[in-house]
Amino acid sequence: MKLLAVTVSVGAALLVMTTATSYAAGGDAVFKKSCASCHYTDGPAKEKTIADQLAKKGPELWYAGSKFQKAWLAAWLQDPKPIRALKYNSLTDKNKGDHPKSSAADAAALTDYLMGLTSPEVKAGVIKPATTPQAKQIFNKKMPCSGCHSFPSGGEVHGGLSGPSLVGAAKRLNPDWTYAYLANIKHFKPVRDMPDFASVLNPKELEAVAAYVATFE
Amino acid sequence: MSRFAMMATMVLGLALGVAGSAQADTKQVFDFYCAQCHGEKGDGKGVNVTKDFATDPRNFTNKADMEKRSDEDIRGVIKDGGPSISKSPLMPPWGATLSAADVDGLLAYIRKMCDCKGK
Repeated sequence: MKLLAVTVSVGAALLVMTTATSYAAGGDAVFKKSCASCHYTDGPAKEKTIADQLAKKGPELWYAGSKFQKAWLAAWLQDPKPIRALKYNSLTDKNKGDHPKSSAADAAALTDYLMGLTSPEVKAGVIKPATTPQAKQIFNKKMPCSGCHSFPSGGEVHGGLSGPSLVGAAKRLNPDWTYAYLANIKHFKPVRDMPDFASVLNPKELEAVAAYVATFE
Repeated sequence: MSRFAMMATMVLGLALGVAGSAQADTKQVFDFYCAQCHGEKGDGKGVNVTKDFATDPRNFTNKADMEKRSDEDIRGVIKDGGPSISKSPLMPPWGATLSAADVDGLLAYIRKMCDCKGK
């Protein structure tokens, strides 16, 4: 009887492990089939030259689990809306909003897979959404992120077009990632058309900006 | 063609090739980092210049204006941003991103756009 119980327990444990493994592999397989022609997930960053960056058809996703919020990602994959006004890597072509849609099942599998791709550079639970005069001053005037990124203000959308929009960042981005990205941008994107603001802003200022971006609905 | 003439042609061709490739690289650097605000033609009409953009990005094709800027001013503003010469912070600091060679290349590229030398 005791042997039977042990056998059943081991069998159940194996079943759980097998299920978990095949589920994760499912997201990986869906990614390879549907996403890998435009995005890569095997970090760290591969880009060394501008040409490397320009050769990419879509953003790198090797730290997607640190960057995105899970609920947003699962919903966006099923109904993708443009995040950038312009086509990736273009300053002239508009974003046609033609990112492929995923089925609910594929989106769930992809979300599980992508949320497992994290960077140790991102420390959890540090940044809480907050609007402060200091952050607004930096964002709009001192080191104006608004020059390149659109953002919500007074019920309207303002700002530049070359960078990804920050409208909806409150639900899309993990604020801890935003801080880590600002603090160590070269780790995430060694070649990018955004300055290294950690060279001119101190960590407290970067925290304030990340907290402010996290309030953008 | 004499051996000397052949050799001279080859050397000249090689030199022009190197110059051509450096020029192409500088255009790539300019288009990647600068064109978003200054425009690919350098006329100050980049895609970020919307109604919200609080200043006019420098028009590098304006000879009279660009002649007033020294080479050191231009190098400095690329590295340290607009406030380093009392101009808009919408010109951000690229010193932690670009190499000294990149900055020198951009300076030469901008001087070509304005067809001018600094004061």
